[in-house]
Amino acid sequence: MASVKLTKVKKIYDNKVVAVHDFDLEIKDKEFVVFVGPSGCGKSTTLRMIAGLEDISEGTVEIDGEVVNDLQPKDRGIAMVFQNYALYPHMTVYDNIAFSLRLSKTPEDVVYEKVTKAAEVLGITEYLTRKPRALSGGQRQRVAIGRAMVRDSKVFLMDEPLSNLDAKLRNQMRAEIILLRQKLDTTFIYVTHDQTEAMTLGDRIVIMKDGFIMQVGTPQEVFDMPDNLFVAGFIGAPQMNFINTELVCENGKYFVTPFGVKLPVEGEKAEMLAKRNVKSRKIVLGVRPEHITLAKEGAAAIPCSLLVNEMMGSELHLHVSTEDETALIVRVPTLNLDAKERASLTNGCKLNITFEGKAMHFFDPETEENLLVK
Amino acid sequence: MKQYSGLEILRLSKWQRFLYKLASFFAAIPHAIAGFFKRIWGSIKGAGLKVANECRDIVSAFVHGDYKTKISYFIMGFGNMARGQVLRGIMFLLFEAVFIFYMVTTGGYWLSMLGTLGVQGPTKTYDPVFDTYVTQYNDNSFKILLYGVLTIFFIIAFIYTWRVNIRQNQIAEKIQASGKKLKSGKDDLRSLVDDQFHKTLLALPLTGILIFTVLPIVFMILVAFTNYDGAHNGFSNNLFTWVGLDNFNTLLSWTGGKGGTQSYSATFGEILSWTLIWAFFATFSNYFLGMFVAMMINKKGIRLKKMWRTILVLTIAIPQFISLLYVSKMFAQNGLINLMLTDLGWIKQPLPFWTDPTWARITVILINVWIGIPHLMLIVTGILMNIPADLYESARIDGANAWQQYQKITLPYMLFVTGPYLLTSFTGNMNNFNVIYLLTGGGPTNAAASGAAGSVGHTDLLITWLFKITTGAESQYYLASVVGILVFIVVALISLVVYSVLPSIKNEEDFQ
Amino acid sequence: MMTNTNQAPAKRHMGMKALNRASNSVIYILLVIISVVWLIPFIFIVLQSFRVESTYQVGYVIPKQWGFDNYIRLWNTDFKKWYLNTFIIAVAAAVLQTIIVLCMSYTLSRFRFKMRGPLMRFMLILGMFPGMLTMIILYRVLSDLGLTQTNAVPGLILVTVASSGMGYYVSKGFFDTISKSLDEAARVDGATRLQVLYKIILPLAKPIVIYTVLTGFMGPWGDYVFARYVAMGTSSGYNVAVGMYSWLTNDQIANYYTTFCAGGVIVALPVTILFMCLQKYYVEGVTGGAVKG
Repeated sequence: MASVKLTKVKKIYDNKVVAVHDFDLEIKDKEFVVFVGPSGCGKSTTLRMIAGLEDISEGTVEIDGEVVNDLQPKDRGIAMVFQNYALYPHMTVYDNIAFSLRLSKTPEDVVYEKVTKAAEVLGITEYLTRKPRALSGGQRQRVAIGRAMVRDSKVFLMDEPLSNLDAKLRNQMRAEIILLRQKLDTTFIYVTHDQTEAMTLGDRIVIMKDGFIMQVGTPQEVFDMPDNLFVAGFIGAPQMNFINTELVCENGKYFVTPFGVKLPVEGEKAEMLAKRNVKSRKIVLGVRPEHITLAKEGAAAIPCSLLVNEMMGSELHLHVSTEDETALIVRVPTLNLDAKERASLTNGCKLNITFEGKAMHFFDPETEENLLVK
Repeated sequence: MKQYSGLEILRLSKWQRFLYKLASFFAAIPHAIAGFFKRIWGSIKGAGLKVANECRDIVSAFVHGDYKTKISYFIMGFGNMARGQVLRGIMFLLFEAVFIFYMVTTGGYWLSMLGTLGVQGPTKTYDPVFDTYVTQYNDNSFKILLYGVLTIFFIIAFIYTWRVNIRQNQIAEKIQASGKKLKSGKDDLRSLVDDQFHKTLLALPLTGILIFTVLPIVFMILVAFTNYDGAHNGFSNNLFTWVGLDNFNTLLSWTGGKGGTQSYSATFGEILSWTLIWAFFATFSNYFLGMFVAMMINKKGIRLKKMWRTILVLTIAIPQFISLLYVSKMFAQNGLINLMLTDLGWIKQPLPFWTDPTWARITVILINVWIGIPHLMLIVTGILMNIPADLYESARIDGANAWQQYQKITLPYMLFVTGPYLLTSFTGNMNNFNVIYLLTGGGPTNAAASGAAGSVGHTDLLITWLFKITTGAESQYYLASVVGILVFIVVALISLVVYSVLPSIKNEEDFQ
Repeated sequence: MMTNTNQAPAKRHMGMKALNRASNSVIYILLVIISVVWLIPFIFIVLQSFRVESTYQVGYVIPKQWGFDNYIRLWNTDFKKWYLNTFIIAVAAAVLQTIIVLCMSYTLSRFRFKMRGPLMRFMLILGMFPGMLTMIILYRVLSDLGLTQTNAVPGLILVTVASSGMGYYVSKGFFDTISKSLDEAARVDGATRLQVLYKIILPLAKPIVIYTVLTGFMGPWGDYVFARYVAMGTSSGYNVAVGMYSWLTNDQIANYYTTFCAGGVIVALPVTILFMCLQKYYVEGVTGGAVKG
């Protein structure tokens, strides 16, 4: 039950490689924050600096207002779940969970109570006497969580806890972590490379790349208004389509001209452009696959041909190629198509597509920043 | 030399590629050597800069520090104590006291004598009462050299501690200025089993290594520049003293030795080349034969795998001196084998296993195979089991036969994984005292080398020769340490070359 | 190639089977030969240790007259003293050396401190000096301390144990294979580094501890050169290697050859039995060590 504050935290390795640059972040009490980014972006390093497993080269980490830079991990009031579970192979599940309690010289009856309670919550009571190697991946993960639970810690750290599980288990455990969070009611910091996990779990998401924070915001914010090309491409699946094109301002109205086709910018986005008085200019246009639609006859549309049609069940992912061979992805709900239309979507067939004017994103091609932020 | 780009090289045939690589390896040597010296120069410069920085830091800390820091420059640990870190302060002060006491009482003497290694040897005075000469021992060169080196170690340690003492004051000042609390003695003790635990763990092993390995090696390197031998033992007969590079001149001189025998350098060259030949054959014969045996046992369909392995492993368990001595006697002139063959009437003369130079050398290598194969078999078996089976499966689908599978998968994998092991076992064999000494004692005697110290034999390695030099009546320790230094140089050179080649092997055949 | 195999699978299969059988029989023959060659000297030693009719080398192996004379004779020499010396050294080395090696290798595997790299490089370079060189001075130092000749045993223990930290490679390689996140988890759970070592790492490092103890114990049985140096001709300070070597010199061998064989059997027996029991760990250590370099 504590806030965590990172001020200008920096990690420089011995070989002068900077893993984390000036990391500034305030995590409120009981908040669930997710660090997300591709591998090597510094998210785990940051978490490990908070945990005290990695020296902090510069800056300060505060937990509950206390600077913890020089504290040992055990004195920081944290609990941590590791990616590979890190269960002690020579101890039973019970001993694994009880380990920290025993180190702090808790009476055995309290230990018993706490361990069995945690086991019950996690549904691993029947495995308490087994050794970790006799458990499946999901069960091991539960033990690892149980071990962290009994510590009554101020901050709960999780380092890619689900990445060693198969897809089905991962979905299940994700839901369980949400439940766990409601039960524990403490501050969570969660590291993952999977944007779905980040979106579904986090109150706020910290998106990182090459040691820099790219954006901090709620899942909705980072999805609707990505600060830059990287965030736009990282959040959302399939990935956002990027098109080098121009923004045209005519009589206070905005248009984009992808592939020579003039499409209007509508709604809130148009207002924001106007408010910022954006002039005609080169841009990178971002359109999410779900905001590309198959054009009605006669409307202004971009002609393209279908490369691959992926059937996902509730929706189709159409990989199309425009006349200048730019590849785009279009996401079409299956419900919107009748059987005949679906059957006509064979590889190589011609399609006309158009973009929704209110769901366009505009980025500066040089700085890669979103034109509508700041 | 023509340079090929990354892809062009793929068009060359196997031999062309090999030659190209060989050529580029040698072409790169001057560059590598230049790089080596540049790096050394760089590190010297870096060290110089560091020292300069340290000095500046020390001065500025004195100028800007508070009075506690200033006094700590003279009374170590004062700052610590004044700031409440009593335990640390006492340790520092104690160290300073011990150091000063040692330097005043004895250290100064050893240090002052180090330049001459003693001036007054043992003297005899006539004792009229008992009508005998009484020997009085004076300076002791051996102790002067030993304790002189130790004193220098001590001084270095003192300077380092003094520096640490100052730095701690600086840090403590800074911490106190920021309003935080300093670590107490209790914290210090606790940290010795926690964040400073490595210091606790290393204290004992490193002290042992320092006193029983580093100190003797430094001492023996210095002995190479003295005339320390049986006749100058520095104590009871004559003192020994510095002679500069004379001993190196002796060993590497081209002129003949006493009584028209061959020169020292020729003897040295002979022994060195046999040492290298021996190390090469001992290493690779074991390696390949051991691999062969392991693969036979590991082959699918061979039964009683465990039994075959156990039979070989059994021979590792038996202390080597027993097996080596026994086998050595078995092959002797009047040993079991010769006697048996004579009794059977197969030979008239005993076979000259240990008396003919060539026979002796070959027998030594063969017996070493007998000693070494079980070891290699174990190692190779472990690695063979780690080779992913799908590599072989895909090779078989690609149409590789057994020999090709060995050549293209097993061997490269083995070489990749055991590269460092091969190096250590090569250098280990160069210094394989036991096998040679227990089997042949270095014999048969090399008559041509009789001018050199120690009775040099045809199977003597540098290491056994070194041993013989120190045990003979003359005990030319100075010569032994010159040989030792040369052994070090050879081993270091080989290791440097191999290490510089190894990474390239790793890049090419990356199995990890 | 693929089509090739598909054309006549049955016939090819038969051919392979026959070929396999032939090569397997060759292998069996080779393995039997190898086993004989490797075991024969040891069988000879045992047989000759029971020979009563003569004490020198002869041209046959099977004794004409069997008996325990050689073993009884052992009892009347200094052999029992040598044996005791070696045993004491071996036990001490096994215990102390294991502690030192484990301290060293655990630290180098787990801690990242500033001097770690230079330290390891320095020890690598130190290892390139022939150890023999240090004997001369160590002998003089030990003799100043009164730890030579009759007191050779403590002297040898001291010297064997003191520099054993250099041999950390094998066990460091093993420690490196234990996941570091176990240490980290334990430290987060509230363990000090010391507790991490004895609560988590040591229980998991059992194989390498046994390996280190075993090699530490076996080493002194074969130690010849330094033991000879330290004992300097004083029989009561010999270990078995030095003592028994003195039986095989040219003027002694005629009297002591069969005694040597008996002594060899007595020396080899306990070591071999111990080794065979702990073989598994030894194999693990040796292979791991070679792979890690």
